[in-house]
Amino acid sequence: MTYNVLIVDDSATMRALIRKVLVISGFATGECFEGGNGQEALDILRNNRVDLIFADLHMPEMDGAAFLKVLRNHHHWRSIPVVLITTEGRPEVLNPVLRQRVQGYIRKPFQPETIRKHLINILGEAAASHVGKLEGCDF
Amino acid sequence: MLENLKAATFEIFETMFFLFPESWEEGQMRFAGAGLMAWTPVTGPKSFHIGLVVPQSLAQKMAKNFLGLGEGGPEWENLEDLLQEAANMVAGTFLSREQVSQSYRLALPHSARINFDVNQWQPHDQHLLFMVDDHGLEVFLERTS
Repeated sequence: MTYNVLIVDDSATMRALIRKVLVISGFATGECFEGGNGQEALDILRNNRVDLIFADLHMPEMDGAAFLKVLRNHHHWRSIPVVLITTEGRPEVLNPVLRQRVQGYIRKPFQPETIRKHLINILGEAAASHVGKLEGCDF
Repeated sequence: MLENLKAATFEIFETMFFLFPESWEEGQMRFAGAGLMAWTPVTGPKSFHIGLVVPQSLAQKMAKNFLGLGEGGPEWENLEDLLQEAANMVAGTFLSREQVSQSYRLALPHSARINFDVNQWQPHDQHLLFMVDDHGLEVFLERTS
């Protein structure tokens, strides 16, 4: 089984990094969609099946908190696992967002291995079983 | 305050770019030719910008390390995007280390291309200078209100 992933971040280089980590982790990625903000992510969700979302918090037009709110109130999308990847580390800012049934939180800066650990936590070992660790990682 | 900015800089460069800045108090000019500046505005009871100034050569090295690129340099647009993300991460880490309240908010980062030869680079008032693999790096905190 392959998993379709949606990466939502206003930084194209950060999206590229996450996509690369998914590949070298041996994660069974099907389609890898990218959105630059929450609104673009919603447009992608309307037309595609998505199994897992990585989302930033600070983004233009529709930020991560607003995006999550829409997601969790939608009858189809409410169960899609979301991993938040953000520079924000202050609990009083983060906690209200994390309470919207976020399955994982990664604070930037992060080691590539951190993404893999979250994948295993959420989807199980089978989803990332092609490679034992980040072998061949050129980071 | 600058101590936390320095610690944030080390954390970001070492973890995300696999580069190890060294504090640089005195020394010859390490900013020449083309370069980039990126900054993240922070709004709150006091407003300020946290930013980075780098020569193009360091920006390229950051991009290559960040994305594990081989030969062939990244485009300018990618370098600007990368440096904005770096400024954003330094600012976010700095705020966490300072333990400031939620009334302080990170705004979206900006960037500008610089020609150091024309602009005669001068550091900002509140700044830190580093050497990173023989390239200059300035990290600054600029009060805006």
